[in-house]
Amino acid sequence: MTTATYQVDTRAPRPVRRPRRRSVWAEMRHRWADYMYVLPALAVMMAVIAYPIYYTVFLSFFKTPPSLAMDDKIFVGFENYGRILTNDSFWSTTWNTLIWTFFSTFFAYVLGFGAALVINREFIGRGIARGILLIPYVISAVAAAYVWRWIYHSDFGVLGALLTQLGLADGPVVLLDSVDRVLTALIVVNVWKEFPFAMIMMLAGLQTVPDQLHRAARVDGASAWQRFWHITVPHLKGVTLITVLLLMVTNLGSAFTIPWIMTGGGPVGASHIWITQIYEIAFGRIRFGIASAYSVILFIAIMSLGVVYVRALTGGDERRRQE
Amino acid sequence: MTQFPKGIRVLPRLLGSTALTTLFGVGLVASYLHAPHDAAAQAVDPADWTPEYISSIAGTIEVDTAAECSAVVPSDYEGKLTYWYIAPNEASPLLDHEIDAQFWEAFGAAYPNIEVEIQSQDYNQMLNKIRTAAVGNAAPMVARLPILWGVEFAAKGQLSEFGPEDVGYSVEEFWPGAMKSVTWRGNTYGVPSNNETMALVWNASIFEEAGLDPERGPDTWEELVQFSNQIKENTGKNGYGLVARTNAGNTPFRFMPQLWAYSAGALDEANDAPTYETIAINSDGGKAALQLSYDMYVRDKSVPVSALTNTQTENRDPFIANQLAMVISHPSEYAAMIDRAARATGQEKEIADRVVANMRYGLIPRGPERRAVVFGGSNLHVFNPDVVDGGEVDMEAAKALVCFWAGPEWSTKISWTNSNPGNLRGFQTSWMKERLEEIKFLDVTTSMLAHGVPFPVIPESPEIMNIIVPEMLQNALTEKMSVAEAADDAAEKIESVISGF
Repeated sequence: MTTATYQVDTRAPRPVRRPRRRSVWAEMRHRWADYMYVLPALAVMMAVIAYPIYYTVFLSFFKTPPSLAMDDKIFVGFENYGRILTNDSFWSTTWNTLIWTFFSTFFAYVLGFGAALVINREFIGRGIARGILLIPYVISAVAAAYVWRWIYHSDFGVLGALLTQLGLADGPVVLLDSVDRVLTALIVVNVWKEFPFAMIMMLAGLQTVPDQLHRAARVDGASAWQRFWHITVPHLKGVTLITVLLLMVTNLGSAFTIPWIMTGGGPVGASHIWITQIYEIAFGRIRFGIASAYSVILFIAIMSLGVVYVRALTGGDERRRQE
Repeated sequence: MTQFPKGIRVLPRLLGSTALTTLFGVGLVASYLHAPHDAAAQAVDPADWTPEYISSIAGTIEVDTAAECSAVVPSDYEGKLTYWYIAPNEASPLLDHEIDAQFWEAFGAAYPNIEVEIQSQDYNQMLNKIRTAAVGNAAPMVARLPILWGVEFAAKGQLSEFGPEDVGYSVEEFWPGAMKSVTWRGNTYGVPSNNETMALVWNASIFEEAGLDPERGPDTWEELVQFSNQIKENTGKNGYGLVARTNAGNTPFRFMPQLWAYSAGALDEANDAPTYETIAINSDGGKAALQLSYDMYVRDKSVPVSALTNTQTENRDPFIANQLAMVISHPSEYAAMIDRAARATGQEKEIADRVVANMRYGLIPRGPERRAVVFGGSNLHVFNPDVVDGGEVDMEAAKALVCFWAGPEWSTKISWTNSNPGNLRGFQTSWMKERLEEIKFLDVTTSMLAHGVPFPVIPESPEIMNIIVPEMLQNALTEKMSVAEAADDAAEKIESVISGF
């Protein structure tokens, strides 16, 4: 009779040793051929993206009054940053920028999502409705700004005439020429211009939501709201992230045309946002050093907001995966 | 359509090398008893420079440009030139295109061996393009720039010292204001090519409706405020087309004459020998001038509410619609209104035609100190070889082109529809006579030239004029600050700007 002896290993299991990760350089050496393929594209990107960023940061440390040639610029260290951050107009412009960015993004997203939900359904004239809703997006921003200027015009505006005819106003409706109302008026135009973008993005997202889930939920007795909240919304999280991020970055960093053409930053700076202020400093005041410092601040703000936002939205998924 | 003589009329040269004998006005310009280079200097007296006088001197001399310029650069000179300028574009009248083509044809005939590489630029893009080109050592050899732009390049050492004498003309052949605009730290960096000033335009029928004399515009700024108020009260229409938008050149072009009239200014630019070191915007006169705008906008509400965001373009529609009585504008405003009236239809056309028929031009009002207007125009500049493509400037070819362009003939013809000759002899030519007969109110706007004051000739001028001055207006008109505070705030900003940051 043979007796089998089994030894029970009571020691703690040895941790599985993960393969050692190569350093970046080692990885590049290992995959050198791959890198060679993308090298031309990288070189172009370095030339058209990295160099301008480098030069903007470099220039931000110099004083460049309009009377001096660029070669004679004067090194001032962080003085440009100090001047910007201690200037009252920077803080009022920053406040305007935050209001502009938040409300433009929020309402463009909400309106765009709402429109997407409507045109995602089958109804007669859906194609025409889609086309009409896209008009603000495809129209030139410059043309739109001029049209809205006349709609809002304080003396002869269409809006003022309409409100007067309806008995809702008894005098000129002053929007663009009012310090208190100008920013709101511009945000309305910006939302009008941007919501079709959100609509397109969300419509694309809606069409990826599996229909069988909705059908199954309906069989299980879920209400329309429950189906929307528990099925549609979670499926649109990715596209929402991208849409809001793109809207936010656009509003913060490149939504220049509408405020500039409609008011030029006035009255008394009430509609200046960072991007119009930077343009004015660079090309109106011919002070490229300060404008560069301003641009660097804007760059940092956009990057930080982007990182925080993406982390906030993707953090939950990461945690769930780890659990 | 206007046709110009194609041939070159060779004037008999009297007394050897000296020829033209021309009296250019009582105490006005120069006596040209010799060749143009020897023209004698005389001051321009605004009192004599009247519409009648301008008409009386037009057509009194004959000019032979090719002969004049060949005395500076031989007509067989062989060379090459690069030249940038704002050429007529698709929005320009056909006549401008024709004149431009005729110029190059005439220059080619006079200097067949000079090859000119022309770059036609868009007004809105040219400044930044040429700035970039100069930084990258790719500037043209010669460029024609609007009056305010040149000083920035001169201050940066990017222009060559170059003046009227280099092309055979005397300094006295050009407006003193124009010469100021090409002078930086005592040196000359260009030759004026054309100059213009604005005038007051009013609608005679609204004046009549308001109980004013339809044929008489306001003589003083205070009267303008009073007229504006009377018009608003009696007709409900806006009186004066105030413009106070920031970042818009239209604003200082309309407000600075008001400031200068009250012996103020941004700096001391209205003085005969400005130093650009004294700040005058918050002087008593400056505050009084700003108070006028405040009175019209806030107290009387006799001007458009939209003045804070309007440019002159936005004033054109209410003007043609018979809803705005007075504006300050260019000589070309009349043509612009005719164009608008032609595009109107139905009942609107009737109104527009009536407005055009009732348009009147007059001098910009005067103040306690003077009558003043912004002196506008363009200058021809030669770039420093260091910043020019190839590192060389063909100076003889540059002289030939500038001589041709800035002479009495072509400085008159090229300015045909929208400006005036930079060369004062241009006013005596038959082409000027033809323009006066053809362009309504040209005599009035031309007579404003003698009251012209150029903006401060310093590189910081665009910031002061397009940003600080409009901000001052807006601070006062929105009552964010009192008139005195707004003026003092502007003075502080100007101080900061000219002190180097």
